[in-house]
Amino acid sequence: MRAVLISLALVAVGAPLDAHHSFAAFDRSKEVTLTGVVREVQWNNPHTWIQVLVADGKGRQTEWGFECGSPNMMSRTGWKRTTLKEGDRVVVVGNPLKDGRPNALLVRITLPDGRVLGPGDAPAPKPLAKR
Amino acid sequence: MRVYIAAFASLLAVVADGCGRPAAPAATPSRTSQLTGVWVAVGTFDDPAGPPPWQNTPWPANPPFTAWGEEQSRRLGDIKNVVPCQPGGPIFAMQDIGIFPIEILEAADRVVIKPENSALPRRIYIDGRPHPPDLEPSWMGHSIGRWEGDVLVVDTVGTSGRTRGMNGVGSNAKVSRDDSNPRLPVSDQLHLVERIRLVADGEMLEDEMTITDPKAYTRPLVLKHYWQRRPDIEVLEYYCGEKPRSSDEVVHAPAAGS
Repeated sequence: MRAVLISLALVAVGAPLDAHHSFAAFDRSKEVTLTGVVREVQWNNPHTWIQVLVADGKGRQTEWGFECGSPNMMSRTGWKRTTLKEGDRVVVVGNPLKDGRPNALLVRITLPDGRVLGPGDAPAPKPLAKR
Repeated sequence: MRVYIAAFASLLAVVADGCGRPAAPAATPSRTSQLTGVWVAVGTFDDPAGPPPWQNTPWPANPPFTAWGEEQSRRLGDIKNVVPCQPGGPIFAMQDIGIFPIEILEAADRVVIKPENSALPRRIYIDGRPHPPDLEPSWMGHSIGRWEGDVLVVDTVGTSGRTRGMNGVGSNAKVSRDDSNPRLPVSDQLHLVERIRLVADGEMLEDEMTITDPKAYTRPLVLKHYWQRRPDIEVLEYYCGEKPRSSDEVVHAPAAGS
């Protein structure tokens, strides 16, 4: 089994969140990039979760959960309920939990067909008519 | 009344056509029906203000809190106190960062605003009725409105003070750049006055909110939020309570070979 690339990258994302508002369980200053196989897609409200099995190359695997937006938000930005299926090989980038356990907030995912989708952010604004 | 007349005229036109006589010309929409439609807030998680010139006013970094307001802001900002899927109230309904559209429907006597992210609509009565003297507190409050030229002036009182903060991404599942600012509580003394108008040739909706809440703030807050008309987008069904999962609920992989 080929080694799985796990990289942690520090990235700057806007103003730092101060301790007063450290309620967010995810560390948005970090990104983890993982290659793995989809075990399950929980296409639910309020948030979709994508469960991915990540092998460590030594015969062990860890199940990572990636939290996304709502199915509505995702469907407005290229997703369908059927976009991913069990067994799909994906490359996932996310902001991991601060406590180190294997959940992350999805940043982007590369699908088996090479498409890259986000977690269900705002749809692209419509260009305004000339005023 | 105008809408009912237009609907009746349309009905007559259909009947006339059915009798082989020429149909009356289609009724043109009244000025006041132009709020009807789907609107998506400008801004994104990483750029909550959105691009110029129609930019959301940033939430204050140092709000003029009363002692009560400061205490409530701390409570709302602590993840231990988050109540999943709690309604957001009338101000929360009118601020967003592009992820949840709202649908506005105008009738002759009321304007109804249905946010996708809330089961609770806002009903704004524009038939001249006053606020009831003995108002039952509610999540969205009681709203009355009147047209001043092209501006719909909406007056809201009677909120319960039990909502989540008026700002921020409610579930805490995702953190916007704006979420570094304090959570802003709303009390049962809220008096919200909105001036809603169309700008950019009707493509954008401007909601200027004057938030007066002497229990929480020592002076009024004035903010503008913008929404873009999006006939290409539908407000979909959303039920937050379907299957909430905490961000730190970890699922363990099945054992290899199982």
